[in-house]
Order: sequence, then C-alpha cells, then structure tokens
Amino acid sequence: MTRVRRWSPLRGAAGLLLVVYGLISIYPFLWMVSGAFKDEREVISSGSLIPKHPTLDTLSDTFGKLDFGTYALNSVIVTGVSLLMILAIYPLAGYAFSVLRFPGRLPLYYLFVAIFFVPGVTTLLPLILVQSELGVLGSHLGLELAFANGAAPLAIMVFKTFYDTIPRELREAARIDGCSELGIHFRIYLPLAKPAVATVAVIFFVSVWNEYIVSGVSLTDPSRFTLPLGLQQLLSDNVVQWNQVMAGSLLVVVPVIAVFVVLRRFFVSGIQGAVKG
Amino acid sequence: MIRRERAGDRREAITGYLFIAPALALFALMGVYTVAYGLQLSFVEWNGFSPTRTFVGLDNFKDLLWADEALSRSVHAAVGRTLVVMVAAVVPTVLISLPLAIALNSVGRIRGFLQTLYFLPYVTTGIAVFFAWRFILLPDGGLNAILETIGLGSLAQSEGWLGNPGTALWATTAVLVWSTVPLGILLYLSGLQSIDDGLLEAARLDGASSWRIATSILWPLLRPITALLVALVLRAVLQEFQVFLLMTNGGPLDKTTTVSLLTYRLAFSDNPAYGYAAALGWLLFLFSVLLAGASFLVLRRKA
Repeated sequence: MTRVRRWSPLRGAAGLLLVVYGLISIYPFLWMVSGAFKDEREVISSGSLIPKHPTLDTLSDTFGKLDFGTYALNSVIVTGVSLLMILAIYPLAGYAFSVLRFPGRLPLYYLFVAIFFVPGVTTLLPLILVQSELGVLGSHLGLELAFANGAAPLAIMVFKTFYDTIPRELREAARIDGCSELGIHFRIYLPLAKPAVATVAVIFFVSVWNEYIVSGVSLTDPSRFTLPLGLQQLLSDNVVQWNQVMAGSLLVVVPVIAVFVVLRRFFVSGIQGAVKG
Repeated sequence: MIRRERAGDRREAITGYLFIAPALALFALMGVYTVAYGLQLSFVEWNGFSPTRTFVGLDNFKDLLWADEALSRSVHAAVGRTLVVMVAAVVPTVLISLPLAIALNSVGRIRGFLQTLYFLPYVTTGIAVFFAWRFILLPDGGLNAILETIGLGSLAQSEGWLGNPGTALWATTAVLVWSTVPLGILLYLSGLQSIDDGLLEAARLDGASSWRIATSILWPLLRPITALLVALVLRAVLQEFQVFLLMTNGGPLDKTTTVSLLTYRLAFSDNPAYGYAAALGWLLFLFSVLLAGASFLVLRRKA
C-alpha cells in the first residue's frame, strides 16, 4: 500500500533545500567539466557554464603535457600499496584490542587513539628528516610508510568498534572446534566486517589519492610525482591555462568518484556503525 | 585446571602482542622517533643546512609568544584568524547540515542518489576541487557571473574573491564549510535514524508543529552528534591547511595565514627556521589536546 502524502509548504521547502544544496555540492565539478571542454581563449573570456565551442583537444593536450600518464600510474601505486599496508596491519590490531586480553591493552589502545590529535604539521618536518635518515626520502616507499602509519588511529578505531559488536559466542564456538586466533580473525571476523573494510578503504583511498603536502615536500624527482603534484605544476606555469587545470582536476577526481559510488552503501553503514560505537 | 587456564591466558596475551606487533613496529619507526625528533628540534636553533644546532632551551617558545616582536605579532594574528575560521566554519556547518539531514531523512526513493551527490565534496577534498573553486572565484569566474546574472552585480568582486584581502578569508572558509557539510549530514542522518519514530508520532498527535519537534525533540536528542561534529570541524580547522595553502598560499597580505599554515611556512620556505616551526607545531598540539579534552567532556556529559 502506498501512502500518498499531502503537499505542504514545509515539504516543498525541504525539497527546494535538497535540490539547491545538491547543485552547490556539484558546482565545482560542473565547472571542471565545463572548463575541460573549452579552449584556452573561451575559458577566460566566457562566464558561461556550457562551452560554446566544445573541444576534446584540451583533455588530450593536458593528458600528454607533463606526462600525466606517469603521474596517474604513480598515484595508483602509492595509493594501492598504502591501502594494502593499512588493510594488512590494522584489522589484526583492531581484533587484538577488541577481543584478546593482554596486559597493557588499554594504554596501548589509547596511545594509538591519542595520535589522532597530533597535528600533521607538527610531525611533518621531523618526518622528512627521518625519511632522509632511513634513506627513503623522495621514494614511494617513504610515502607509503608515512601514510600507513598516519592511518593507525582511525583504522584501529573503526575495526575495534566494529569487532566489539560481533557476539563473543562465535569465537568461543570456533575455539571449541579447534580454530586458531588467526583462523578466527580471517575466517569469521574479517568477512563479517565488510562495512568496516569499506569505510577504511574509502577514507584512506580518498586521503592518499588527494594527498599533497607530504608528497609535495618529500618527492623531488618529477618521474615519481603523483597526480596532485602534476596538477600543481600546471598552475606554476607563467600563464595559467585554466582549461588545462580544470581538465587535470577532472582526471584527478574521476577515479575517486568512481570508487565512492561503488562502495557508498558499505561506506555509509560503516561510518554510522563507527559513530554509534 | 587453574594451570591450564593460566597457560591459555599467556597464549592469548602472546597472540595479542603478535597481532599488534606490525602496527607497533611501524609506529616505532615512523611515529615515536618522529615525535621525539620533533620535540628535540623545538629546543634548538637550526636552519636545516648548517651542521650545528644550538640548544636554546625555551627561547623558541618565548620568541613565538612574545619575545620576538615581528614573529610574535604574526603568530598572534594567525591565532586570531584561526579562531575566526573556527567559529565561521563550525556554525554554518551545523546550521546547513542539520536541516539537510532532516529533509533527506524524509525522502524515500532518491535518498541514495542525493547522498552520493552530497558526499562528493568530502571524498574529493583536495587539490583538484580547491583549484576548481579558485577558478570559480576568479574576477571573470562563475560566482561573479552568477551575481551579475541575478542582478546583484554590485556584490561582484572585481579583484576576484581570493584577490581581495577583505573577502579572501571568508571565501576560503566557505570552501572549507562546503567540504565538511557532508560529514555533518552523514553524522546527523545516523543520529536521526536511531531516534524512535513513536516519539515523533506521539508529539505530532499532540499537535506539535514541525518547528517545535525540531527544536524541542530533535535538537536535544542530537546534541551528542553536534558535539562530535563540532569537535571534528575544530580539529580540521586547527590541523588542515591544504585549503589555505592551495587556494591563497596565505595571501593576500597574509590575510589567510592560519597557525598551521604559518608552522608549515616556518619550516618550508627559502629561509627555514626549524626550531620555531617545531615549537609552534607543539603549541598547536597542546591546543588541539585541550580542545579534544573539552569536547570529550561535553560529549560524555550529554550522552
């Protein structure tokens, strides 16, 4: 049975609010698309969102210029390896903090949570100096280690709060059947924790893919640059070609949007679970 | 019996340590050492190039706060701006995301689609969208064009919204709000979904208006969510400086230099002062911890 709702001014206002804010949300993306299809003269002369002489040259020029293909590949490598490290290390730690009992469990957990409040800029300079002492300054590995370490507080919190909601009886039953802790984690807990995995994956995919500050001060060799650094180079030209900057921006955001659209359902329930926990 | 239990406990403890060992090892390598190094740097004078570092005790902190006239003046100005941005980011984030979440909660079929739309600013936050906003805020950009189209041409900024020292901070803060509203919507939405529908139905039957329901029932029930959102936005303003670095680089006339951007500039400029940068970073950390502690207390009391 469908309930027909009466139209009321309040519902009308709510609908209007939703539509208007939807437009505000996507406004910069509209301009990215618009700019990416304009030529270099139209992009500075016309305030019109819809290009009068749409062209594909801007996208192909931008992709060729500055070796965007290499930057994209570097971004995929850095993001992929960082995510692998994060998803290999922190589910286990979350399991230990949630399920296992050992001396020092709570102090260690709070230690990890406390790192959340250390501003990135406070540790940025020493991080660069440490990378240089370890011989990984300017390499992808140096970035991946730093990003994986930076993910610790949030990733551990998300996994621990999710594992807290899984009934203990499951573990007891598995143990009676002779399953090891490692087996319990990988065969029972981790498969149940898909929303937590999706949440952590989306959060850190997004933040590593868009990361600019640490990469910017640590990478110096252009052949190792990631997409955000390549994009920055477009703006450091003497005459900024905004159509190419918009085309480059579009190349940066499209993969993120695609990943988010695919994982949105899990991601939303994962965040909501973490908030309630 | 007891002995076997103890052996089990010990095995569980060893398993626990093994499970957190990778996380701890990484933290020891990139975290502990980094933090200790940063602390040490805050007590020395060093430009990063010279082989000598001079131990200066608490002088870096004193210089930043009052002893060095020019430096302390720029620190005070940056603190003032940061406080302004905190208020100017938190209040609109709450006032925009709560009504949107309430409206979104009453929508049926297209909720998923709208949620995706509203969440795009959060997942794309970074250099690409900041550049798009720069483009929109240019003198010939989209915002001025809209204002002229709807007859508000007098509000248009001929130097661009980021070029005018009077509007640059507000424009960057608006972009910051744009990127934090999605988080607010998501948090409020999960709060709304945990509220008992019967309660709202009963209030409606008693003749309470929608406004009354929103202010007397929803707002108090959602207060823990609001506290969490406020804490997260304040943390973002204190710690994130990408938006300021990439949109204005602190300009024009330093009008958008916040404390974290100033810290970054002290370390990464042509004339670096590592000791000052490290010391200011730790002052920022202290402030973040105080703020986190305060918001934790608020959260606990309301929950």
